[in-house]
Amino acid sequence: MSALLTVEGVTMRFGGLVAVNNVGFSLAKGAVLSVIGPNGAGKSTLFNVITGVYKPTAGTVTFAGAEITGKPAYDVVERGIARTFQSSRLFGDLSVLDNVIIGMHTRTRTGVLDALFRPAASKREMAACVAKAEALLKAGSGDLYDQRYRPAGALAQADRRRLEIARALASEPKLLLLDEPSVGMDETETDALVADIRRLRVENPELAVILIEHDMRVVEAFPDNVMCIDYGSKIAEGSFATVRSDPRVQEAYLGKAAADA
Amino acid sequence: MQAEASAVAASPATPSKAAAAAFVVLSQLGGAAFLYFLLKADGGWQVVGLLAVLGLGFTLLEKFPQVAEFARASLASLPLLTIAVAAVVVVAFPFAVGSNTYMLHLLIVAQLYAVLALALNFQLGSANIPNFATGASYGIGAYVSALLAINFGLSFWLTLPLAALAATLFGFVIGIPSMRTRDTYLALVTIAFGVVVQQLLNNFDFTGGPNGLVGIPAPSLFGHSFADPLVIFGHKLPSQANFYYLSAALVVVAIVTAHRLHGSRIGLAWNALRADEIAARAQGINVAWFKVLAFAVDAFLAAFAGTIYAFYVSYISPDNFTFLVSVTIMTMVIVGGMDNIFGVIVGAFLLTILPEKLRAFSDYRLLFFGVVIIGFLMIRPQGLFPQRMRSYGGRS
Repeated sequence: MSALLTVEGVTMRFGGLVAVNNVGFSLAKGAVLSVIGPNGAGKSTLFNVITGVYKPTAGTVTFAGAEITGKPAYDVVERGIARTFQSSRLFGDLSVLDNVIIGMHTRTRTGVLDALFRPAASKREMAACVAKAEALLKAGSGDLYDQRYRPAGALAQADRRRLEIARALASEPKLLLLDEPSVGMDETETDALVADIRRLRVENPELAVILIEHDMRVVEAFPDNVMCIDYGSKIAEGSFATVRSDPRVQEAYLGKAAADA
Repeated sequence: MQAEASAVAASPATPSKAAAAAFVVLSQLGGAAFLYFLLKADGGWQVVGLLAVLGLGFTLLEKFPQVAEFARASLASLPLLTIAVAAVVVVAFPFAVGSNTYMLHLLIVAQLYAVLALALNFQLGSANIPNFATGASYGIGAYVSALLAINFGLSFWLTLPLAALAATLFGFVIGIPSMRTRDTYLALVTIAFGVVVQQLLNNFDFTGGPNGLVGIPAPSLFGHSFADPLVIFGHKLPSQANFYYLSAALVVVAIVTAHRLHGSRIGLAWNALRADEIAARAQGINVAWFKVLAFAVDAFLAAFAGTIYAFYVSYISPDNFTFLVSVTIMTMVIVGGMDNIFGVIVGAFLLTILPEKLRAFSDYRLLFFGVVIIGFLMIRPQGLFPQRMRSYGGRS
C-alpha cells in the first residue's frame, strides 16, 4: 500500500544553521506518528516544511501521490493537510464559532460575485458551516460549544488547544499535524485529549496524525510509530519501547554522562 | 429618546414587541432630528451643544450597557420595520429641508463619503490594510466617467459601470505590488500611488491639467434631467434633490454589498488575515489574493462615488482628489468603528458636516483630523460603534 505522506531527504537551512538535516520518513493512511526530541531540535520546522510555510533547501515532500514540496500553504491545506500551532494561533477577536468556520475555507466555494448576487446560496453555505462547526465543537472534550459566541482570545489555555484542533478538523483533513497539543493542559485534560484523538481515529479510520509531543503520556498512548529528532537529524525511529531504550535518544534527553550511567 | 431608554433599562433584556417597535421608530426619528439640527446649526455654540448631547448619549451607552443591548435587540428583532422607517426617513428628509440647497449639498457629500468610507472599510476595517489610495480610486472613477461623457457623449448610466471597471483595474494594479509589503510599508506604497495619480491628473493634457474638466453634462432618467427641479406630488424640490436620491441609492448599494460580503466566507477570510496572517494561511486562505480582492472592491465602490460626484458638481479638478481626501476617509472609518457598517456611516456624516460647521477652523483641517484620530485611538480605539461578533441568528 502506498504511503499517504512521504518525506525524503528534507534539509532546511537558515543561513549557517541547519534546522532540519536530511530527514526522511513515511506515513500510511490512518497511522499515528509521534515526533519527539529536545527543544529546538527542528520538529516545528519540519511541520513548517510539510505545510508549505517554508520551502526546504533540499528534499521532497509527497502527499497522496503528488509532490507538494514548496507549494503555498493554502494549497497544502486544500489537498488535505491541516495543522495546529505550538503557540496557539487563534483569531482572537473572532468568536469560537467563526474560528471553526474559517477552518472550512477550503471546503466552501462562495466568491465575491456569488456573495453579492446569490445571497441565498451564500447564506445556505454559511448555515451549513454553522451546523458543521457546532457539531465539531460539541464532539470534542470540554465545553467549547457553550462558549461558541465568546471571542477566542478569551478562552482558557486548554480550550484554546481544543479549538485549534477543531479548527484544523474543519478543513476535513486526511492528515492532521498537531504541534504540542497538550501544552498547558493538566493531567485530566491531557487524558481527554488522548481520548479525543482516539475517537477521531475511530470515526475516521483513514485519518493520519503526526504529533509533536513532550508529554510522554500522550506518546505512550500511540506507541506504534515514534521518531526522535535531535539537532535537526533523525536519531531513532520505531515503536515507543524501541525509541525509549535507544542510547542516542537517552543521550539527547539526559546528556551523555547520565545516559552512560 | 433618553427618557424612553432609561425606562426600559429596568426591564429584562428581551424587549417586548411594542417596546421594540417604539424604539425602532423613535430612535430613527431622533437620529434624523439630530442630523437636521446639526445641518441647520449655524455658529459654533449650537454645534458644540449638539456634540455635547451626542457625547452624553455615548457616555450613557457606555455606563448602561443594557441600554445598548436593548437597542441592538430591538433593531434586530424587527428588521423589516427598521428598514421601512429608515427608508421613509431618507425619502422624506429633502421635504423637511425644503429649499435649503446648502443642506442638501452637505447631505449629498456626506452620503458620497459614506460610500467611500464603506469602501475603505473592506480594507481598513475588515482586513486591516491601511490603504491611503481610496481618494485616487475616487478620482479615477470621476475622471473616467467625465472623460467618457465629455468626449464620447456616453450617458451617465453607461459611464457608471465603465468607470467602476477602470478603477477596479487600478485596484488590482496597486493591490498586486502592495502584496510584497505590509503594515507601514504598505501604507507608504498606497500613499505613493495616491500622489502619483493626483500628479498624473495634474500633468496630462487630456485630463485638463490643473484646470480639470468642465461642463460634465447632468444625467437624465426617463427624460427627466437631473439639472431640473424635482417635482413629487406637486411638491417642488431643488435640483440637488435628484442627486440626493441618487447618492442615497448608492449608499444602499454600498450597505448591501458590505453586509453580504461581511456575512459570507469572504468577510470571514478578511477578518482572519486581519487577526493572524500566518494562521489564516494555515486555514487555506490565499492571503495575497484576498488582499488584492479587498483593493478591488474598495476601488469599485469608490469609483461609483466618484462618478456621481463628477456629474453632480459638473466640474472636477485634481484638487478634489488629494491625499487629504484619503486621510479624511480613513478618519471616518476609525471614528465610526472598524468593521461596523452603521458606525462607518455615522463617522462619514459627522466628519463631513462638522468641518463645514466649524468653518472658523478651516485652516486647521489636517490638524483637526489629526487630533480626532489621536483622541479616538486614546479614548475609544474601537470607534463610536465597535465591531460586533457575528451571531448567525442563533444568539438570543
